[in-house]
Amino acid sequence: MQFKDQIDFIRQHMKRNKLRVATTILAATMGCAFLIVLASVGFGLHQTITDDVLDNNMVTQIEVAGKTDGETEIAPADIPDAELQQIKEMEHVIAVVERNQPEAETQIVIGDRSTYSQVVLSSMEEEQKAGFALSEGKMPTKAEEVIVGYHMAERLRTEAEMEKEANGEEVGGFAGSLIGQTVELELTPFAAEGEEKAETSTWEFVVTGIAKEPAKDWMTDVTFYADSSWGPIFNEELGLEEGYKNILVYADELQNVGGITDALKEEGYYVYSVTEELGTMNVFFTALKAGLIFVGTIAVLIASIGIFNTMTMAVTERTREIGVMKAIGAQPKLIRKLFLMESAAIGLIGTALAVAISYGISILANWLVPIIVLSSLGEEDAGGISIVISTIPWQLVVIASAISIGVAMVSGWRPARKATQIDIIQALRQEM
Amino acid sequence: MIKIKDLQHHFKIGKKGNERHVPVLKGVTLEVGKGEIVAILGKSGSGKSTLLHILAGFMSPETGSVVVNGQETAALKESQQASFRLENFGFIFQNFQLMPGLSAFENVELPLKIKGMAEAERKMKVQKLLEKVGLEEVAGHYPNELSGGQQQRVSIARALITDAPIILADEPTGSLDSETEKEILLLIQSLNKKLGLTFVIITHDEEVAAVADRQYRLHDGELVKGEQRHAV
Ligand SMILES: Nc1ncnc2c1ncn2[C@@H]1O[C@H](COP(=O)(O)OP(=O)(O)OP(=O)(O)O)[C@@H](O)[C@H]1O
Ligand SMILES: [Mg+2]
Repeated sequence: MQFKDQIDFIRQHMKRNKLRVATTILAATMGCAFLIVLASVGFGLHQTITDDVLDNNMVTQIEVAGKTDGETEIAPADIPDAELQQIKEMEHVIAVVERNQPEAETQIVIGDRSTYSQVVLSSMEEEQKAGFALSEGKMPTKAEEVIVGYHMAERLRTEAEMEKEANGEEVGGFAGSLIGQTVELELTPFAAEGEEKAETSTWEFVVTGIAKEPAKDWMTDVTFYADSSWGPIFNEELGLEEGYKNILVYADELQNVGGITDALKEEGYYVYSVTEELGTMNVFFTALKAGLIFVGTIAVLIASIGIFNTMTMAVTERTREIGVMKAIGAQPKLIRKLFLMESAAIGLIGTALAVAISYGISILANWLVPIIVLSSLGEEDAGGISIVISTIPWQLVVIASAISIGVAMVSGWRPARKATQIDIIQALRQEM
Repeated sequence: MIKIKDLQHHFKIGKKGNERHVPVLKGVTLEVGKGEIVAILGKSGSGKSTLLHILAGFMSPETGSVVVNGQETAALKESQQASFRLENFGFIFQNFQLMPGLSAFENVELPLKIKGMAEAERKMKVQKLLEKVGLEEVAGHYPNELSGGQQQRVSIARALITDAPIILADEPTGSLDSETEKEILLLIQSLNKKLGLTFVIITHDEEVAAVADRQYRLHDGELVKGEQRHAV
């Protein structure tokens, strides 16, 4: 029998039992759509969180949190310069930045305006190599030149303004650009409780650049970036120990981060990078997705009972016709194929409908759920975070289709075999 | 063409452990040559259908052999038997056995579809045959829209469409009135003359048997030769 005729044949059969076939397809559709929509939540959340991680991090940044030589732990500050130099010379490493923070209360003052801040001491040369981004101005070239955070200007307030703000009023901050302005840096060593406050030391700097706006609009950057040569000077003046050192290694591209991370780990460094975070997340989400697909498959299996029933009834109903076909000379193989094709067709139509419906539900969920969630939290917008509840990548469509059509064919298998085993004589004896 | 030799068959009836053997065929031997019409008569329950079913390969004989066109049919596997039937036999069943969901045209077309013939060739062939058996006007009708005689003619057309050399007919006129019966018998005779088809006709009706070249009577599990052909 030609394939086209086989298709015609099963179409004719399906038409004859429209209602029964339609309800079976409906069940298959519901099962498959349930599977897709359920798993799409796993895919959606994974995407949301991955995007969020990539958004909130310098993705090419690898943090070195210390080292072990097998026995002793070495703090970042104690890692010898020679070893950092070695890291710097690794392939795909473009810069190694050491950031220091003096353990002191920090105040920035310009005229009658001031703000709390935090000092970051770093090599400006390395920062530039690492791709330190400015929104305005240029990188410092002299030790007395500094960069300030994006929100520094608006946070510089007079005492009157600070009071107003405390009363909930809107206040402006420093008007105009800070570039070229001379600012005072006041450092006061942290005092333990009960102790008398230590004395404040003051230095003057010229602002040459403003750092780039942070990725998220809820973040505020009021950092004061100065050259690392100031570290010893501050410490001596304030009588402080060397503070915590942060070592950041920068890769040239995201795809090389994993390799560098692994190489550093091999050497005993404690490292942390986006790939690490994504790696752990991938394991978690892969497990979650597999679990959701498994639960969804149960719905497909329930639908398959319907397919089994429909096909069994179809075989029983058509016993006489099958007998005649066999008597005329149809191969048992052909009979089996026709019935398998019919159950596969039910699975196929059900899957196609399910995919279309699932995309609809997914779009609806992505639009509706954030609105419901936000309104129940009494907020207007999600603060720049885009929440994707559900995504349906093509891989999910492929997996779900394979499961649904596979299950449909498996449930059609027994009825199809039963059809091939029909006894011609018994079948011909049946009344019309 | 057909050689049946010492065919024996019995049925088991009753529950297991307490079954009874009912012999139906007790050594049937029959030869049918090409272009012959052979009629097999017998009382109801005498085993006529059983004989035909074994001949067609719907079931296997216990002992004895059936050789059709030089092929021992019992030696074939199920799938080979299906192909063999498709090539060699056309069937006319007692109660027509048409597909209720197919039109007259599609019913006749079905064996060619099973054979895998291309659509254009197939349609032409069916059209021609329907004209020959006088059904062109009801080609689009479904079986429940046809008279008994028309249904039987559809069923004959379906048996003929594959150009099989042997037509096996089980009570071809069983459910028809005598007028229509005559029509069908004339059709069978003319097909036999024009196309040289071989017919094995099972009947309990003497008038039907009368169109045969040879008649046999199945009695008590044995085949007895009957009288020669009369004019219809
Ligand atoms: N599957 C079966 N199991 C047991 N006995 C059977 C079976 N099929 C037929 N028989 C018996 O075999 C005998 C012959 O049956 P068969 O159908 O061949 O008769 P027949 O000559 O065709 O009769 P009719 O003219 O009524 O069609 C009958 O007695 C019947 O009861
Ligand atoms: Mg009979």
